Amino acid sequence: MSGAALALAALLGLTLVKATPLIYAALGGVLSERSGVVNIGLEAILIAGAFTSVAVSGATGNPIAGTLAGIVAGMLVAAVLAFVATRLAVDQIVAGTGLNIAALAGAAFGLQLIYHQPGASREVPALGTPGENVLIVVAFLAAAALHVVLTRTPWGLRVRACGEDPSAAESAGIDALATRFWAVVTGGAIASLGGVYLALAELDLYSDGMTAGRGFIALAAVIFGRWTPFGATGAALCFGFLAALQFSLQRAGVPSELLQALPYLAALVALAGFAGRVRAPAADGMPYIRG
Amino acid sequence: MSAALRVRTLRELLVVIVVVFGVGSIAMLLAHVSPVDGFAQLVDGAFGTPEEVGETLVQAAFLLFPALGIAVAFRAGLFNIGAEGQLVLGGFAAGWIGAQLPLPAYVAVPMVLLAGAVAGGIWGAIPGFLKARFGANEVIATLMLNYVATLLCTYLVTGPLQQGGATAAETGALPKAAHLPDLIGLLADPQPTLAYLLTPFALAVILAFVLRRVLLHTVFGYELRAAGDAPEAAKRAGIDLGRTALVAMAISGAIAGLGGATIVAGELHRFNTGLSAGYGFIAIAVAIVGNLDPLWIVVASIAFGMLQSGGIAMQAEAHVPKEVIALVTGLVIIALAGRRAVANRRTT
Repeated sequence: MSGAALALAALLGLTLVKATPLIYAALGGVLSERSGVVNIGLEAILIAGAFTSVAVSGATGNPIAGTLAGIVAGMLVAAVLAFVATRLAVDQIVAGTGLNIAALAGAAFGLQLIYHQPGASREVPALGTPGENVLIVVAFLAAAALHVVLTRTPWGLRVRACGEDPSAAESAGIDALATRFWAVVTGGAIASLGGVYLALAELDLYSDGMTAGRGFIALAAVIFGRWTPFGATGAALCFGFLAALQFSLQRAGVPSELLQALPYLAALVALAGFAGRVRAPAADGMPYIRG
Repeated sequence: MSAALRVRTLRELLVVIVVVFGVGSIAMLLAHVSPVDGFAQLVDGAFGTPEEVGETLVQAAFLLFPALGIAVAFRAGLFNIGAEGQLVLGGFAAGWIGAQLPLPAYVAVPMVLLAGAVAGGIWGAIPGFLKARFGANEVIATLMLNYVATLLCTYLVTGPLQQGGATAAETGALPKAAHLPDLIGLLADPQPTLAYLLTPFALAVILAFVLRRVLLHTVFGYELRAAGDAPEAAKRAGIDLGRTALVAMAISGAIAGLGGATIVAGELHRFNTGLSAGYGFIAIAVAIVGNLDPLWIVVASIAFGMLQSGGIAMQAEAHVPKEVIALVTGLVIIALAGRRAVANRRTT
């Protein structure tokens, strides 16, 4: 292979590495939002997945156990949001913001309890290498699976019905609150794998603030991808490509801050409708109260 | 306040107290510290000496500005979670202008504060405009702009607007004339360190009173609240919802930006990109606990200021990681996300 082709291959490989956590988080966000629950707490779910997988992988020496524990932690965090958003019908945005603050602090607190040092854990048994990792493949399979579930299965139809018009869904005999709850929790399981990948494949440890706003970039990918699994995956790949490009463009004198800001700006552009019609699920963000 | 509402408010305050003491105690027990000792160190660290009281009020002030800004947007039915970015950008503008103003204090200080308010106001007006003109969801827009603000400031301060003498991601130092004056020092004070600390808090409290007056007793305040409480009715009554959104977001951002300027002019005396320890996010808790009423927000800001300043002492003296404070803050936000004032916000 020529030098240019090698460089291109390396760039694409890095794109996959950078995009994988975003894909998982964005897919979790898509499922949650299609059911009508805005998931600002994606960042919290990534943090929970990352921290717990490291703690358990370190304690057991088994990264598979770490991965499973990370998924459970992500589901628990999502369940908190799901519970207050469905049963208590509180403001989802406010609750998600609180969740992000609590998760970041909780992980930092946990670091001090377990490792008796602030900042970072020690290295733990890893799950493969960043580039050759089963989780990269699983991310794309998850996107396809979510697409099929949302468009071809009764449960997917029920989820979407709750996201568009929960009271109509209830008239048709669907339990809107339960459907939303499980959509958010399942979304939490998917999103947590993004945190697991970051922690056990990329860094092999947990360090304070390591998710670095990826939950919000994923949220941008959900919007830019128009709330569909493939759209969100495509957007996550674009954002991953930007992140991969950063190293080479920085050397060429392009300010890295501009590249880092692009996903957020892309979401703004999409929101303002400059990139074609963008429509969130009609009942996205609205608590459903029976009555 | 009706009896039912009073009971509800009492119940909500009880929830906050249970969360703070319950979760705090569990966390302290996990850290092998007696909760009694932990909380004693927390209170002692926040109020034990005059200097500590001063630091508590400084922290309260730094939370009070963004919390007041958030309350304005919330009352208009707009969920501004971009206070952090508005505050950082305000701090940057204040630091950048302040470091190059060879002016006497009575001009320099107002200029620095004004610069912060204008920059924060512009940053708040962007999502307001996007909402008014294109119907863009302000929650996501403000959230995204937080990151853009920090990145923009980092770029400007290390790139095109770099100032001589600054090596890190910060502006040059503010000359003495641009420092916030020492409030009690003006009244002849023997302990200037404590004294200057009170100026930001005094400013913020004055602002809270003004804001309350504007919200409750002016036509503009009425329109703003009407747009938040009953947008459909407000529209039929001839209130321009788009314009209200734009103005409310600009004011909200300006107040948060003023807070950033206060941190620069009152404490750091230069801007650096790490100037906010998440004040814009903790302020959401302050605004909600204060039930979006400026005067109650003042009270809430002292409580959270206490947690902030006492948390450092708690870590140093009782060896409880100070992250407990942020953990409790996040949980308080979740616990109160169902407050009526919050639930009223416009969802589209």
